[in-house]
Amino acid sequence: MSVKLDDEDFEWEPPTEAEMKVIQARRERQDKISKLMGDYLLKGYKMLGDCCDTCGTILLQDRQQKNYCVSCQELDSDVDKDNPALNAQAALSQVRERQLASQSPASSQSAELNGGPSSSHIGVSVPQPRPEHCEGAAAGGRAPLPPPAVPSTSAPPPPTVLAPTRPPVCPQTTVLQPVLQEAEDAVLTKLRWATNQLQSSASLEASIQLCSLISSCANSLRSLKELSQ
Amino acid sequence: MMRPVEHLHLEHVLQTVGALEAVVLRSFGPHGGQVLFTRDTGQAMLSRSGTRILTALRLEHPLARMVVECVWRHNAKTGDGSKTFILLLASLLRMIHTAASKDPHVSLTHNSKEAAKAATARLLADKLLAFALDELDDLISVGVVPYGCVLSWKDFTAKTQSPVQKLLSSFFYTRLGQSNCDFISNLLCEMLTHWKFQHDPPSGSLQFINDNFPALHTPVLGFPISCSRLIEGQVIHRDFATPLTEPDGGSVKVVVFTGHLQPKLLNAGEVLELGCEALGEQENRGNGTSILHYSTFAEISLEYVFSNLQSLGVSVLLSAVKQSAAVLSLATQAEICVVECVSEDELSLFTHVMVKPCSLVICGSGEGQTEQYAAAFQEAIRMVLTTWEPLNTRPTTASKMVIHSHKSTSLHTGDTKPTYGFPCQNSVLEPGCVVPAGGTFEFLLNHALLQHISVCDNHESFPAASQLLANALLSVPRQIYSHSPRYFLQAQAMVLGSVQNHVHPFVMLDSGLESVSCKYHLVLAVLQCVTRLFQIDTMLHTHTRLNTQSRRLANISWEDTEDEAEN
Repeated sequence: MSVKLDDEDFEWEPPTEAEMKVIQARRERQDKISKLMGDYLLKGYKMLGDCCDTCGTILLQDRQQKNYCVSCQELDSDVDKDNPALNAQAALSQVRERQLASQSPASSQSAELNGGPSSSHIGVSVPQPRPEHCEGAAAGGRAPLPPPAVPSTSAPPPPTVLAPTRPPVCPQTTVLQPVLQEAEDAVLTKLRWATNQLQSSASLEASIQLCSLISSCANSLRSLKELSQ
Repeated sequence: MMRPVEHLHLEHVLQTVGALEAVVLRSFGPHGGQVLFTRDTGQAMLSRSGTRILTALRLEHPLARMVVECVWRHNAKTGDGSKTFILLLASLLRMIHTAASKDPHVSLTHNSKEAAKAATARLLADKLLAFALDELDDLISVGVVPYGCVLSWKDFTAKTQSPVQKLLSSFFYTRLGQSNCDFISNLLCEMLTHWKFQHDPPSGSLQFINDNFPALHTPVLGFPISCSRLIEGQVIHRDFATPLTEPDGGSVKVVVFTGHLQPKLLNAGEVLELGCEALGEQENRGNGTSILHYSTFAEISLEYVFSNLQSLGVSVLLSAVKQSAAVLSLATQAEICVVECVSEDELSLFTHVMVKPCSLVICGSGEGQTEQYAAAFQEAIRMVLTTWEPLNTRPTTASKMVIHSHKSTSLHTGDTKPTYGFPCQNSVLEPGCVVPAGGTFEFLLNHALLQHISVCDNHESFPAASQLLANALLSVPRQIYSHSPRYFLQAQAMVLGSVQNHVHPFVMLDSGLESVSCKYHLVLAVLQCVTRLFQIDTMLHTHTRLNTQSRRLANISWEDTEDEAEN
């Protein structure tokens, strides 16, 4: 009986602290998923024996025979794309950031780096599922993100530039502005679309989802305005 | 492209049970809410019963169905604890998952980390079950029973505030709400007292009531529950088929028939042979060979039967089957009342009961509600039966436990290791033992398990298993006191304090009572369910239904029809 073994199977180590945070976040997400599934089951949805293709969550089916994935269609629409529990890239990037930060001399700057990314991430988050968009937009706003395997469109300067993050804010506003403008336009378009859909929507579930989309667009716009100030 | 076979990941198991837990959680505990069930026909019903809620869910996922079946079976045996089952199950699964993720034994036989995790989890589950089957009852006898109270069968009176009444009252409180629990528990106590067989052990009469409960209760719609009462005699749930004639006075004689008085002449597929061989050639004889003669003969014999019954003074006829029209008309002529289609258990109760029977009339405002009350009564009886059922442990393990505790006192004299205190004289899990409700059992067992780990040091695998179980048990009281974590700590401190001081906690806590035996069965059932869940390796999907009514889930291997089509 032939067995294929990866190298990583032999190199298993206990999870590091960063990874423990990832595990913790994942566990919380699982709890949220379970709670949502329980609510839907009580509403009369059927629990199928299949799993969702994208995320592996168990599928539910409503009375109209429509399949529904709790995590894809509900949780992901209002959770940050760069949440390490969801996005493996974001998790990897956060872990690598910390590794590089602990190696570099400017460790105090890395503390700001950690504080920085989350706010700018929120600022440019748009409800689209592709991670490289966020990576690219965020990279445009914050130079020293070491590019992971995802190729970002507005490539930042070479990854050796890690240490100074906060000081060179002013020269980067020129890079920042058009990106923010684009993001704002995209969010406004989506807001308009959602409003139109909401006016003509007849289903309760769809209306609830559209309202949550509108509120997250509004939040995004607010954060974008804060950033541009 | 061949669809890959789906391996069971631990995450799937967790997610399934997590969803069931979320369903059940909101109704858990004394302050839990009720679930409103509505049908498309407009019927509505409120329920807090875990089994009812879980069996009403639409579940196609095989793991979920398996878990619900385990819950159903446990409820059919003990009558209580369905929600606690799911809570404990979910908590155990999460801990096993964490333990397996921290330390999977990666070896050459597993081709992925997932498989290694699953194998570790399976191992842990097996160890847990082995530990529980081996030592749990002793732990309970030593660590829980001394702090509870043993209710004797003689305590079974219907006085308010008798311990048995308190036990039933707290059961009904969680099941039916606060407003009627005292009244209902009183009623049930009266009934159980009436049916006490003087010289039999309690489990005998309780088993009798449990088996015959459908015949011993009558649901009545349209009245509030407070109209329910006990009545003398047994109610036969059928109406008279002939006009009722009042008895003259004195005793009423009843005859029970299980078959047809007038046999049906011809059924489909039958052949009726008339006449006898001696008259073979003489077919034109006047008597005996035509069907008309046969039916006349049958009628005459029926008239003979009824004249016999009349001369015996019989006034009521109970029949298990539907009698023919001729029988009914003859009975009317003879002034004998006939009741048809009486169910078998009612008939057997009627014929075999030696004492004067009494039965319960349960009133409810609607059909669903009355049915719920009746189910609650039956489950209460099952719970009481489980409480008084004697469980015997093997004497060897119990004495081993005593030896250990004595050893620890003699060897570690300078230590502050607390001993079990009470020398356990009887190794039997005392029937009738109850502890205060509200998590006391879980706190006590958790403490006993932790003590056990510190005392026994040479069981190489059991410490891990007992640590897991000890931690998982605390999830139940944590959920009971979820509205206020401070109460959880207070309750834990109170129970542990009473353990240290060898005082009964139940004089201090003013909550209800719960049965130790039911809890023991619950823990065992949960561990068995966990083992079963981890024994599943793969789930293969089929497009056709194989087992619609599965009461035994022995084989959950289905065929992959897509694969067959491709090949």
